[in-house]
Amino acid sequence: MSLAFLSPVAADDVAIARSPMERMAKAAGAEFEVRDGWNVAVRYAGETAERTVAWADVSHLRKWEVEGQGGEFGVARREGDAWVCPLTSDRALVIGGAEPSPTALDVTCNYAALTILGPQARETIARFCALDLRPQHAPPHSFRPGSIARQPGMLVVEAEDRFLLLFGWATAEYMWTVVADAATPLGGRPAGIETIETIEATEDTDA
Amino acid sequence: MSRLPPQPGERIDRQSVLRFTFDGKPVEAFEGDTIGSALFAAGRRTFSRSFKYHRRRGLLCCAGQCPNCIVAVDGAPGVRACVEPVKEGMRVEHLNAQPGLELDVMRATDLVGTRFTPPGFYYKTFIRPRRLWPLYEKVLRHAAGLGVLRKEQADREWRTEYRRRHADVLVVGGGIAGVAAAKQAAAQGADVVLVDEGQVEPVPGVEALGRATALGYFDGMVPVWQGDTLHQIRAPAHVFATGAIEQPLVFAGNDLPGVMLSGGALRLLERYAVSPGTRAVVVSTNDRGLEAAARLHDAGVTIAAVADLRASATEATRALQTRGIAVLQNHTIVAAEGGKQVTRATLGGVEGGNGAAVGGNRAAGAGGNGAGAAAGAEVSFECDLVVVSGGFAPATSLLSQAGARTAYDEARGHFVLADLPPNVFAAGEVAGHADPDAAARSGERAGRQAAGGSPEDAADQPIEQAPTAVPPPVAGQTHGKCFACLCEDVTAKDIKLSIDEGYDSIELSKRYTTVTMGPCQGRMCQLASIRLMAQETGQSLQTVGTTTARPPYISVPMGALAGRPFQPAKRSAIHDRHRELGANIKWAGDWRRAYDYGDPQQEALAVHEAAGLIDVSTLGKLLVRGSEAGEFLDRLYPNRFSDLKPGRIRYGVISSDAGRIVDDGTICRIDEDTYYVTTTSSGAGAVEEWFSWWLADWQMDVRLTDFTQGLAAVNLAGPKAREILGALTDLDCSAEAFKYLDAKHATVAGVPCLILRIGFVGEVGYEIHFAAAHGEHVWDALMQAGREHGIRPFGLEPQRILRLQKMHILVGQDTDSESTPFSAAMPWIVKLDKDADFIGRWALEHYAQEEPAARLVGFTLGDGYVPTEGAVIIDALGAPAGQVTSARFSPVLDRVIGMAWVPAPLARDGATVAISDQGRTVSAHIQTRPFYDPEGEVLRS
Repeated sequence: MSLAFLSPVAADDVAIARSPMERMAKAAGAEFEVRDGWNVAVRYAGETAERTVAWADVSHLRKWEVEGQGGEFGVARREGDAWVCPLTSDRALVIGGAEPSPTALDVTCNYAALTILGPQARETIARFCALDLRPQHAPPHSFRPGSIARQPGMLVVEAEDRFLLLFGWATAEYMWTVVADAATPLGGRPAGIETIETIEATEDTDA
Repeated sequence: MSRLPPQPGERIDRQSVLRFTFDGKPVEAFEGDTIGSALFAAGRRTFSRSFKYHRRRGLLCCAGQCPNCIVAVDGAPGVRACVEPVKEGMRVEHLNAQPGLELDVMRATDLVGTRFTPPGFYYKTFIRPRRLWPLYEKVLRHAAGLGVLRKEQADREWRTEYRRRHADVLVVGGGIAGVAAAKQAAAQGADVVLVDEGQVEPVPGVEALGRATALGYFDGMVPVWQGDTLHQIRAPAHVFATGAIEQPLVFAGNDLPGVMLSGGALRLLERYAVSPGTRAVVVSTNDRGLEAAARLHDAGVTIAAVADLRASATEATRALQTRGIAVLQNHTIVAAEGGKQVTRATLGGVEGGNGAAVGGNRAAGAGGNGAGAAAGAEVSFECDLVVVSGGFAPATSLLSQAGARTAYDEARGHFVLADLPPNVFAAGEVAGHADPDAAARSGERAGRQAAGGSPEDAADQPIEQAPTAVPPPVAGQTHGKCFACLCEDVTAKDIKLSIDEGYDSIELSKRYTTVTMGPCQGRMCQLASIRLMAQETGQSLQTVGTTTARPPYISVPMGALAGRPFQPAKRSAIHDRHRELGANIKWAGDWRRAYDYGDPQQEALAVHEAAGLIDVSTLGKLLVRGSEAGEFLDRLYPNRFSDLKPGRIRYGVISSDAGRIVDDGTICRIDEDTYYVTTTSSGAGAVEEWFSWWLADWQMDVRLTDFTQGLAAVNLAGPKAREILGALTDLDCSAEAFKYLDAKHATVAGVPCLILRIGFVGEVGYEIHFAAAHGEHVWDALMQAGREHGIRPFGLEPQRILRLQKMHILVGQDTDSESTPFSAAMPWIVKLDKDADFIGRWALEHYAQEEPAARLVGFTLGDGYVPTEGAVIIDALGAPAGQVTSARFSPVLDRVIGMAWVPAPLARDGATVAISDQGRTVSAHIQTRPFYDPEGEVLRS
């Protein structure tokens, strides 16, 4: 028997995969596009490049659990478009990119995800998370499993002011509420994935 | 008005006038004033009424330590006026006095009720008749307390920010030592946070949090309350430069408005240019009190008298003498008198000096707690200000919480630090370095060490200060109340009474009298109460010891500790569909679940008559993979799984080492090396932990992945279920091709699914598991396909009716920590002939050989009464013999059914038991087989 039931990849175009935060994003004014079978919040009305902090729903990022790919604990490796995050000495969580191997276990829907970015990103996260994210302790490419808003989660420091948070799919509505509550007083607002893509493209160009 | 001409270093801006109201009357203040300084400058002397006796209380410490000036600001109680800055338009009101602060009817408690209100009087007086306690409680709560909460919920809500901050070094205390420590640690390259209750000057490279109070120490985490933000600061090293707290003296009338600590008087004078009085009597045990007298004199306050408990003059004495002020050595205060405020102070001579009893006939205590007898003539002085200084006790509360030990210092008359835990440092006056230069050096040293540097130099020995006299536990005595604890109105006499009644340790006395339990948290009263305890019991102060310093250090609104108002609820991927369908959504463990959609009975009937669809995404779902996966499960469950064929399902009960049921669920073998395990919704986390724990121990070739949140699951059940499912999949759903307890992989509405043919609700059923991202799509497709067949969504409540009809247990509801598979009527699940050892085997072998005392059975009731879950099964003698675990009205059976634990001899078909429930007794008939489809023909069809 197949393990395809674990995967959000549907057999036809009718079945659109949806993030558990889709309604929250919609209520916040998101515009959606279907990409790779997912209904994705690509932009928000009135979204500008100027921001103190923003959060973007990236739950559609594929995630795999792979065996035989450990590494230094606490450090995420960038391989292509993916983050390889060691869970144990011989087990890793791969986030994004293409399927890493035929034996990889698709755990995409185990984790919803938010990217938090902007100059106030670290301060925003400090409002609900006790992980030590000071630059000297969590430089870019750091990987931190731990408690996020009192829920089990994981965090990848993607860049100096950009963090990828992963948490249980079922807790996504709660997590969106917590992040919005923390970010809004700091001038934060939700962002679409076009914002992320623009930033990443700039980073690639700079690199 | 008592505002003085500009004073050097004053903190007010005389060009900026602010206006606020106190009890509705307008008050003017300068920018920089506190509520306390502004009110005092405006002539107010009574700021509050005391907790129990409703005595007048005025400014005492002007440092936010004591309870005397607690007011309500804009409706929020518990604000200390002496440190709260005035803001334009603020509304300040007194607390705890009716009808007003100047005339308080509850003062009668003080005037005529004292003898009826000793410590613990409420425990003794109001216990009978018990039915009146609610009335007593209401009256007592009204009479005591420190204000009332705002009435409207909206007014009670405010936003608190919670900020987690990691630092390399946290310095608590922004005085000379604290700032020096912070600077030094930062210079070493450390990330430093400095907090202080007052204003803090910026320190380069240091995050300085002013008007911020460290509330406690929790294994390295220090919560710091700053306005509307609660910082949670975690640091591997801490420097506490918390200073020392000036202690009041215990004498008759020591709580009158106008009796003020020397530091309080100076703060009023120097920071706010407010004269604390016009004619002062100064009483001290140390030089600082004498220096305050000189400063007051220089500011124009007439010094009527100065009493120094010490026998010998010091430089400070001579400084006063040069001003023409005589100092009465070997004297202290024995009484203060007055009405609205102090008008007279009486001083008395001391025999033996340096810590003797004074002015009366009280015998002195032992153990360095003063010795000597009554002596000396008493002399009175008219005054409107009594400045007292009873010495300075190191503020060790936070250090004690961090694990520091203290010991009583006979010479200084207070407890000092004896040792410190690793990575906790003390600097400045709390460590005995009161001298500014020594404080700075101790701060630098502590900062260097906290940042990981070496001490480099030897620690200064605490500089020998001018000698300090140890005040007597109580001076004067026989008339008037001598307060040891101003917060809780505990007198010296009360402490003695508590000892007489057997509460003869400081911790017991604390609980009985509530001394040290008020807003000052013992800062003003702990030492006094210890001295009294020592005197009355004849113990040394070291033996008496201190009370436990507990957080919070200051009063904090409960809301600030509560966190942001968000509950980490889990919601299934189909949750919004349930909302749209009008589901009655309730908590089920940490999930939000649809209990019903308005009519649970009809929803249950729909499952029998057509089809029902329920969201069961909350089930625990574990993928167990590896060459030893089967053996792993064989070790965890009492039955076998290594012989389960791929594509088949088997029920499993997890038992503990003691053979007790801890969870249940189904196990499906996907392929040779892969099993899909479901657990109960509430047990998912615990089972995952249990599996992980054993896997770590056994080191088997097994991988465990939790898909509880990643997979949605629905149960499609009912006579029409096969047709509905068939419309959405290419799978052959016929009974022959897809048998009961088969598992198949197929697409449903285009989504890859694992379909389990199981029947928790007793009808033909398919449990469909798929990626959560498709939750709504699959739900919608099934509902759409089922519409023509009369499908209904059903919730948790109808599911409970349906499963009860089949006598399927709910672990945790029908079972408890004593339930075994044998007593729960599932002996067939235990395979004692299994070769492999398994968890609980030894215990289950034992249970297999003995008759359980009680068994889980079904029962029916004829009269329509549905007993409460938990109702008692009673035996022939009326004694409790068991309990009802589940009961419902079954619409399809048209009768009440249930499950219960009954004595084993009664666990047989046809037996009757009596159920006692809410004042009535009903007779129930025992049934040991399922109420619905006992042979399982429907299920397997």
